[in-house]
Amino acid sequence: MKKRWKYTLVVFSLLLLLVGCTNQNDNKDSSMALIKTTQPTPMKLSNKNSDSLPAKVKKEVANIKEIYDVAVIEGNKTILVAYKVKHLYRFRMKSIEKRLTKRLKNEYPDEKFVVSSDYKIFLEAVRLREAMDAGKISKDQARKRFNNIVKLKEELT
Amino acid sequence: MLKGAQTWVFNSKPAILSTGVVGGPFEKNGNLAEDFDKFYEDLWMGQDSYEKAQRILIEDAVDIILQKEGIKEEKVQFFITGDLINQITPSSFAARTNQIPNLGLFSACATSMEGLALAAFLINYQGAKRIITGASSHNASAEKQFRYPTEYGGQKPPTAQWTVTGAGFALIGSGNDADEKPHPRILSATIGKVIDLGISDPFNMGGAMAPAAVDTIERHLQDLQIDPSYYDLIVTGDLATIGRSIALELFEQKGIPIKEEQFKDCGLLIYKKNQPVQSGASGPGCSATVLYGHLLNQMKSGRLKRILVVATGALLSPLSFQQKDTIPCIAHAVAIEYI
Amino acid sequence: MANKNKTKTPEQIQYDQLQKKHELKRPILKNCIRAFFIGGLICLVGQAVTYFYIYFFNFTEQTAGNPTVATMVFIAMILTGFGVYDRIGQFAGAGSAVPVTGFGNAVISSAIEHRTEGYVLGVGGNMFKLAGSVILFGVFSAFIVALVKTILTMWGGF
Repeated sequence: MKKRWKYTLVVFSLLLLLVGCTNQNDNKDSSMALIKTTQPTPMKLSNKNSDSLPAKVKKEVANIKEIYDVAVIEGNKTILVAYKVKHLYRFRMKSIEKRLTKRLKNEYPDEKFVVSSDYKIFLEAVRLREAMDAGKISKDQARKRFNNIVKLKEELT
Repeated sequence: MLKGAQTWVFNSKPAILSTGVVGGPFEKNGNLAEDFDKFYEDLWMGQDSYEKAQRILIEDAVDIILQKEGIKEEKVQFFITGDLINQITPSSFAARTNQIPNLGLFSACATSMEGLALAAFLINYQGAKRIITGASSHNASAEKQFRYPTEYGGQKPPTAQWTVTGAGFALIGSGNDADEKPHPRILSATIGKVIDLGISDPFNMGGAMAPAAVDTIERHLQDLQIDPSYYDLIVTGDLATIGRSIALELFEQKGIPIKEEQFKDCGLLIYKKNQPVQSGASGPGCSATVLYGHLLNQMKSGRLKRILVVATGALLSPLSFQQKDTIPCIAHAVAIEYI
Repeated sequence: MANKNKTKTPEQIQYDQLQKKHELKRPILKNCIRAFFIGGLICLVGQAVTYFYIYFFNFTEQTAGNPTVATMVFIAMILTGFGVYDRIGQFAGAGSAVPVTGFGNAVISSAIEHRTEGYVLGVGGNMFKLAGSVILFGVFSAFIVALVKTILTMWGGF
């Protein structure tokens, strides 16, 4: 019987090693993005001269009481709004998303919005922001990553 | 000779000449480990399947007896045994190995005493000179057949019982050898009726079997016109905690003066308190290994003189339970004295 | 006398009462608390696995469900194979039987048990002995619910 526990331990430690097999060089912010509020500054990736647009969008979304963290990235054609919903309000995620999209559409009818409450989208947005800040990637690469994030949002299974 | 309604009295008092008791890993850590002849370290016993392992238990027990007595299989006239597995295949396959003329039995966990009663009858009326009888069970093969796969994480209730992995066999003969050594001798046997008082929970065998044990003991005392103090010990096969306390209350109700210290149960004797067996042990191997090992050793060392062994069996199948039938039970009693 | 009618004789009723007095009752409250904590623990592990997949791999919350379930069943397989899961099950009861790990354990333990009867008839034929009814009734009830929902949306426009 002692052997059994030894084997279980060995297998579990092997599984833990898998966790180390990652090539993410995350900075402080994105590594904690899932756990605490990071409030990343809104980012602009497009060529439009609507300088204050991402900041305005962020301020507006942050004011909604059910949402406690927002990341806004403006791309060429779409603006990505990734947010985190407070725990108790997670039961009404769908209605919050609908309300937010309608509101953003009313306020800024010229822009196309991609709205997501998914942790992964938020995490990727924060990572993208950090990569830009650190100067690790070029604007073109950033745009490509941005498009990937938008595509990821559309995946269903 | 028939006495009363369902009891045999054996005038020539057939003797239990020798025994072979083999157990598994759980029994090795149990209470009665010194009274076993051989243990196996794991449930597979070097075989491909649990059913084959059970066969090894039986073959080993029979070999131990033959070695102890220094005789070969040809000197034994009959092999009377049974177990829990479908079509009693482990017993039949072991009989194929030892090539002793075979009488296969089934009365679930009461098989050991059914075999002993029939063997004593045959010896008494000179139908045979030597008979090997006993019973066996294997925890994993019984669980696989009756309940769930052994690794399944289902929760057993506190009334459940643990099937013993073990085989207990004995060589019965006339015992009239020249040097007049004392032997445990079989005085009488009572064959039980099938009793069913409407219990249908297969996890509560003790509750189902208690009425059968009480009925057989009552008949035995009535048929022989004796009272319980005639015996030093009345021991049941596998009533365990719940069955035993129900039986004690039923004795009280029927006015049979059986004292608590006098009434023991093999299912409670065989394992230690800290082993996870819920309410106790069960299985044909339970009564067989405890009687042919521990109880006979107690008699040989002088601590017990005359005992009544009542093996109880629950005659259900997984199918009968699924078809919403209740559990009918039976109990066979054999009286043994050391003279 | 086979009891065609399910009513008991007076003797049986009396014995039933006597038997219930002596029967060791299941400790329901203790079992519930144990099941709650172990079930919660398993779900906690599942959530950790989900975060692991979201963080290190390219899954979103929507899509991380699949590898999470696969990982949980893999863990159940390891625990069952090493003979640990049935001890957890004896302690936790429903807490370990209800989550997907319990389903995995049911299938895996049946498969292990019947290996001695060969792969086709033994393992293949008996693998779903316990889990078969889960799959059957799960799929069937999903079908009924989908049917009801379709009818309601057609009529009510919910």
